[in-house]
Amino acid sequence: MKVKPWAIGIMLLCTLLTSSAQLLLKSGALKLEFNILSVLSNWNIFLGIGLYGLGAVLVIFALRGGEVTVLYPIVTSSYIWVALGSSYFFGENVNSLRWIGILLVVVGILVITIGGNAVAEDSAKVI
Amino acid sequence: METQIWAIIVVIISGLIGGFGPVFFKLAADSINLRNLSSIYRNRPLILGVIISGVSIILFTAALTAGELSVLYPLVGIAYVWVCIYSVFLLKEKMTFFKWLGIFIIITGISLIGLGA
Repeated sequence: MKVKPWAIGIMLLCTLLTSSAQLLLKSGALKLEFNILSVLSNWNIFLGIGLYGLGAVLVIFALRGGEVTVLYPIVTSSYIWVALGSSYFFGENVNSLRWIGILLVVVGILVITIGGNAVAEDSAKVI
Repeated sequence: METQIWAIIVVIISGLIGGFGPVFFKLAADSINLRNLSSIYRNRPLILGVIISGVSIILFTAALTAGELSVLYPLVGIAYVWVCIYSVFLLKEKMTFFKWLGIFIIITGISLIGLGA
């Protein structure tokens, strides 16, 4: 089954949403105090949970447009988004070893979505 | 922080089990008919996928707090291999040279990210 480009796009969007959810939950947890008022007014946590749910729904629809072996590895782009987000929003320092790792993740995703998708199913070799 | 042995075991096991999550999601995705709402809320693969993925994410998250990322991240990366293997056997998908190469490059990248943490 050839993977449709829109499915790849939705997977990237999903990953962006779940990465944002992670960052929101992290920042919400930092502000959390153990009283009802603090929990209920912690919109970071509610928004984070909401984005996780939305991301989960979108994954299902993305999978209608392609196969798991091409689409699922795209969720590893979360390492990219989380690193960028942590650096920008939390001022965390991302060292060069981590950036190289992120670069490899990007390359890996490209290899799978382009190289893994370009081969027509009947000529694909099962390894 | 020294990595607790239970954290390593939990990461490995949740990877082996959690790998079925995306497979069930794919089965669910292909069986959903938007005109028939019950194909969504009565969708067994969907329910199984949610449970399996939910449990494995919770286990992963807990284990990652109990160990060094340089040790645990490579194990998290290897979980993507199980997803591919399960897809070949359960979904009749095909793994190609480029897909394996891409997975290998990604696992290396994730491992470096863990080392750099």
